[in-house]
Order: sequence, then C-alpha cells, then structure tokens
Amino acid sequence: MRRETQNILLVLLGGALLKIGINGDYLRYVKPSQQPWLLAGGAVILALGLFAIVRDLVTARARRVAGDEHGHHHPARSAWLLMLPVLAVFLVAPPALGSDSVIRTDTRAPATQASASFPPLPPGNVVPLTMTDFVSRAGWDGTGSLNGRTVELTGFVTHNGNSVLLARMVITCCAADAFPVTVRLTGLRAAAYPNDTWLEVTGQVVPGTATRATNYTADFTLASAHPVPAPKDPYES
Amino acid sequence: MQTATEAPKRRRVRITSLEVLCLVLVLAILAQSRLVSVFDVPALRTGSTVFVAICVQALPFLVLGVLISGAIAAFVPARVLRKVMPRGQAAAVGIAGLAGVALPGCECASVPVARRLMGQGVAPAAALTFLLAAPAVNPVVLVATAVAFPGKPEMVLARFLGSFATAVVMGLLWARWGKLEWIVERALRRLPGETDGSGRWAGRWRTFAETARTDLVESGGFLVLGALIAATLNVLVPGRWFDLLAGHLVLGVLVMAVLAVVLALCSEADAFVAASLTALPLLPKLVFLVVGPAIDVKLFALHAGTFGRSFAVRFAPVTFVVAAICAVVAGTVIL
Repeated sequence: MRRETQNILLVLLGGALLKIGINGDYLRYVKPSQQPWLLAGGAVILALGLFAIVRDLVTARARRVAGDEHGHHHPARSAWLLMLPVLAVFLVAPPALGSDSVIRTDTRAPATQASASFPPLPPGNVVPLTMTDFVSRAGWDGTGSLNGRTVELTGFVTHNGNSVLLARMVITCCAADAFPVTVRLTGLRAAAYPNDTWLEVTGQVVPGTATRATNYTADFTLASAHPVPAPKDPYES
Repeated sequence: MQTATEAPKRRRVRITSLEVLCLVLVLAILAQSRLVSVFDVPALRTGSTVFVAICVQALPFLVLGVLISGAIAAFVPARVLRKVMPRGQAAAVGIAGLAGVALPGCECASVPVARRLMGQGVAPAAALTFLLAAPAVNPVVLVATAVAFPGKPEMVLARFLGSFATAVVMGLLWARWGKLEWIVERALRRLPGETDGSGRWAGRWRTFAETARTDLVESGGFLVLGALIAATLNVLVPGRWFDLLAGHLVLGVLVMAVLAVVLALCSEADAFVAASLTALPLLPKLVFLVVGPAIDVKLFALHAGTFGRSFAVRFAPVTFVVAAICAVVAGTVIL
C-alpha cells in the first residue's frame, strides 16, 4: 500500500474515533470513562496522518528533483483492514447491544457476595432503581428490602421462549464483555411490545422468585409500563 | 518534441492503492442503504457492535504504545538502553519483567514497545518478558482485579505472581532455546536515518512522528483482524459453556484457558467478567486472568504482524501452556 493511501486511512480512522467520541455514539461501544482516551487517541491518529501528508507535500518537490523513489518500504497489505472500522463507523454505525445478546448470553448474576449488606430503600411511593441494584437485591438481600415496595425500572423488552423479559446489558470496559441482567415481566400485556422496545415500568418483585433454578431472574408484577426513547448510555456498569 | 514523447507515458493510467481506496469508498457510500440492510440480521448486528467496540476500546491503547515506541526510537539512543540493561540474560529478563509495572495500559500497547526495544538492541528475551509482563502486572490491572474480587486480596497476589512467572519463564525459555531467525528482519531493523544522539531536535521529532505512524499502520491492521476474529467467536461461543463448568475443576481450568484466548477481553475488564461467573471456583477464574493478557486471538494477530508468522506460531502455543501452568501453580499455592 502506498504511503499516501496509508495517510488518508489514518485521517479517516482518527476522524471516525473523534466523530463517535464527540457525538456520543461511543456510549454504544464502551463505558463513559473511556471518552478522553477515545478523543486523545483519535486526535493523535488524525495528527500523525495529517503531519505525514503535509511533510510529504513539502518535500515532494525536493524528492522529485533528487529522483528519489520513495517506495523503499512496503508494509504488509494488512493496513487495508483499517478500512473496516472506518466503514463500520461511518456507514453502518452498529447499534447498541440488544435483545439478541440477551438471548445469546446466559443471564449472569451480578458479582455480589452472599453476605453483602444492602441499605434500606429510600422512602417514597415509587423508588427508581437500576436493574443491577434490583437484581442484586432480589437475589441476595436477606432482609427483603424489595418486598412490598413499588420500584421503577428502565430496560428493553426481550422475548425469550414464553417469557417476556425486561433486560439491561452491563459492561465493565467495552461491549465485548457485556452481560445481561433481567427480570421476568408478569401481568398487564407485556408481550404486546416487540423486542428491543425501551420501557419504563413500575411494579413489585414477586418474593422468592430469584433463585438458582430461575438463574436469579426475578418475577416482576407490572403496575404500569410505557415506552421511552433509548437512554443515551444504554448500558449499566 | 520532448514534451510530446513524455506526455503519453505520464497519462497511462496506473492503478495504485490510492485509486482502489477511492473506488472502495465511493462504492461503499453508494451502497450504504443496502449495506445497512445486510447488517440488519440480529447475529450480524451483535457481531458488528462487538467488533467496533473492541476496535474503539483497543485503538487508543495501541496509539499509546506506538507513541512510546516512537519516543524510544527518537529520544533514547541505543547505547543508553545497552548501558541500562544488565549484561546477563537472566538479570535482563528480571528487570524487563519489573519494568512492565510501569506501563499502565492493556496488552495492545506493549506490542509496539517490545518490538522497538528489540530494534534498539535490547535482548529479545528481555523484550518478550516485557511484552508479557506489562499488560498483566501494572497497577491499573491489579486495582481492577481487587475491585472485581472484593474481600479476596489473595486473588490479586495470585494474579500478579502467576503473570509475572509466565513472563519470566517465557523470557528464560527464549534465552535458552529461542532463535533470532524466527523473528522477521524488519522487526529487528534499526530505523533508517536514526540520529544516534547527535541529531537536531527537529530531526528527532520527525523520527518520532514517522516511527509512530509506521508502527500504527502496520499493527493497526492486525489489531482490526484480531477484533474481527474475537467478535465472531464472541457471537458464536455459546454462553452455556459457563454453566456446564460448575463443579468440574480440571475441565473448568481447560475451558477457561481456551475462553481467555477466544474472547480476547481487555486486561482491565477481564477480572469483572471472571468475577461474574459465580458458579466457578477461584482457580479456573485465575487461569482466565493469567492466560488472557498473555495470549489471545487479538494478540496472536498482532504478534504475527509485528514479529512475523513463524515467530507467532511458536510463541503463542508455548505461552498458552506456560501461562496455564503458572496460573495453576500460583493458584494452588496461594488460593
């Protein structure tokens, strides 16, 4: 591959990283704290490409006079692969992980100690909770802090066999290490919503349903459910 | 006339990579809507998201690596490195392993740095030790491990010792049996036009930028290839594997070692994934944490691209076995 082509690819690649870093799409792929890394990395790639282009233009005349052919170093054709992330980001823009990953990955319980202590839920008629917090409490809280309390959860719908799940993916670094946390929706007509619909639901846990036999997926009795737009950061961490 | 004889020669269309690039870009833009609908299959959608995620997550660390590589090439003369490193191979291997503590990044950053160290005359055994130690024993990774395994500090110690032992054993194995001709010549070559100490600052900055650029182009492609393989396997490997492992210690160790290779997780994140497998005992988790940063499909692609294929096909399997054994020994002693 020619040097000019490499430099153009670097400019495109750096631009792609900067684009998703600035417009917020990076949240589909990595955790929020990666943003500075992403912006710095994209800027450096862009700068290395631009610097080489400018330098080549400045020295092009001198080189032509000297008759120096600059094709002395041909790196492997592997550099063409750099096109793939560029095309993927600019043209396909893959969406955040959704119901397909939930079905593909077996639900794993969040890493919680059996002896972990949970503070009591704050007062109020409806308590907003993260899915991770809810699932941990449902499975491991011996004091039953969820029982009888109405909570509000946000997640997307996943049809798995006969059950309708509300799910959220949890990532620690990037989408490659994502795993789902889920609750099984009962009551109302939850099945009416298609896969990947984001819902804000209120309701109560059915005590004693989050056991090893159910893979720590608790039953959740719906009181209300309404569709919401997908949140900016689709993952919990 | 002179101009008339020259003109046709120049006008002859030569297809270079530049024209190919333009053609590909135009085609891709024209076919965008079709491209998007092709990727609307659930499995492909998940795979492409994971692919972009691995690239986006790893590229900044690769950039950090090539910047350090460029800085070594431009600002650290080879004779200084020779003076700093001990003469004896064994001592050099030990020093290189400890030096790994100082590079807080994940595994992609250490590949270009190790290659540049070799190019600047550091013994390959020491450079390879650094390559294996840096992603696993640095403070960021150890803190992440401590956070992922609350109340189990022995896990952090076991990971440190297992990974450190892997790096040192591999360095010593290379010093004893390694052959320089396995590594491609271009990885060992000193940079052309490197000014050894006498260069002006402008020249040094040019060397810095040019080295970083070349390293980035060369290893970036292989990082993408690794991400592609890892994303494919990530979608294809059934998650049910994890459930079957509960209660089978030997099987668990073997499968977790293989999973560490095929999932190619970042060394800062793998501890959290291991910790979430609540059904597994600690030993298979430790094997997962020691093998992953030492060798995985993404690293194999990077090694093949940087040091050559004949190096990678020898280095990868031996590293896999050594890392698994070191992890089991460290785990048995400490956990």
